[in-house]
Amino acid sequence: MKTPGESVVPAEAVSADVPASAAADPDVALMLRLQTGDETAFQDLFRKWSPRVLQYTRRFVGSDALAEELTQDVFVQVFRFRNRYRPQSRFATWLFTIATNLSLNELRRPERHLRVDLWEKTDADDRREGPPLPDPHAVTAEQGASTRELARRLEAAVGALPPKQRAALLLSRFDGLAYRDVAEALGCSEGAVKALLFRATQTLKRHLHEFS
Amino acid sequence: MRCGRAQEWMAAALDGELSPRRRRALDRHLTTCDVCRADFADTDRVLRSVAALPMEATVPTALEQATMRRVRVAAAEEIERPTRWGWWPLPVAVAAMASVALIAVGLVGRSGNVDTMPTATAPRVAGPVATAVPPAPPKRVARAEGRTPAPVPNEPPPQLANAPDLFMELPILRNMEKLEHFEAIRTTTLDDEPATPGGEEPPSNG
Repeated sequence: MKTPGESVVPAEAVSADVPASAAADPDVALMLRLQTGDETAFQDLFRKWSPRVLQYTRRFVGSDALAEELTQDVFVQVFRFRNRYRPQSRFATWLFTIATNLSLNELRRPERHLRVDLWEKTDADDRREGPPLPDPHAVTAEQGASTRELARRLEAAVGALPPKQRAALLLSRFDGLAYRDVAEALGCSEGAVKALLFRATQTLKRHLHEFS
Repeated sequence: MRCGRAQEWMAAALDGELSPRRRRALDRHLTTCDVCRADFADTDRVLRSVAALPMEATVPTALEQATMRRVRVAAAEEIERPTRWGWWPLPVAVAAMASVALIAVGLVGRSGNVDTMPTATAPRVAGPVATAVPPAPPKRVARAEGRTPAPVPNEPPPQLANAPDLFMELPILRNMEKLEHFEAIRTTTLDDEPATPGGEEPPSNG
């Protein structure tokens, strides 16, 4: 690898092979720099995208430890397969395709049945977190508690969705991924994405109705 | 429009992923159907709630360090084990593969001729000479021309099978300890060779 900052792809080199829309994407430029061996480009990509990937995988597998392992795996794969990336698709789409595939593989592992479900609230959770903190955006303490409870139930409901519905829902909320990008990440058609989102929202609506 | 179809389109409409024609049809339906209008508001609420959930998690420093460590290991492995053709320019690699293919095709063609050579059951030359001198076995012919490798025996030769410790008697193994020091290598002779001309022991380096 080159030393930090040693190689930066000049703008004219980027625009030679990359569509104009992609050339404007800073992540594409970072990937092209990574392809030339610039380690700082990888660090920049990691620092920008790892919080989202970690949250995405955490919601997918329901475990902090597993999500951290998966996030590592995702970025190691980004590095290993950096030369396969083509700027014709958005970097975020490529990244979340890797994250989705690794998460789905993790869910298929048989030992998954032994895991402790993060979404199930336990007494230990209450003891660890202590009394709920006041929500600064809430008008009253009751409203703040209600908002937090709604968010917790929503997280639980999202975590209980079938994996593909969950992926479609999360991806379509992440960074404004278009249905076309979600379809690419999931390896299905846009129509299938619409159907997945329809079923996911129907399920979530039922959960929220029960709550309210 | 049926209510079921309207519900299917709601999420896509809220995400701006519905075609203008369908969006207009959905809007027309919502103006006339109270149930779907309420459902549309619910869908909007759900999608907004999901979007309001935190999309980023705090990444522990250890996670970044561990990832960078693994990436550096991967980079080092790439340097140590480049792909078989990675260091060849593409045209050279293609030309080399084409040459190998041509040679293979040529060998196959020639080996076809070998098959047509006379065998013990069908000698090419008829007559008393042919019957008096049996043709050479095909295996020997092939070996002489270097076209096919000698067959690998399924069983070890009886000599080796009966003496499994045969290799342990090799001088190089008996003298392995002496190879540990360069000085010893320079001054020591192997057991099978005569020692110093005068029959003296070599000097010890220890």
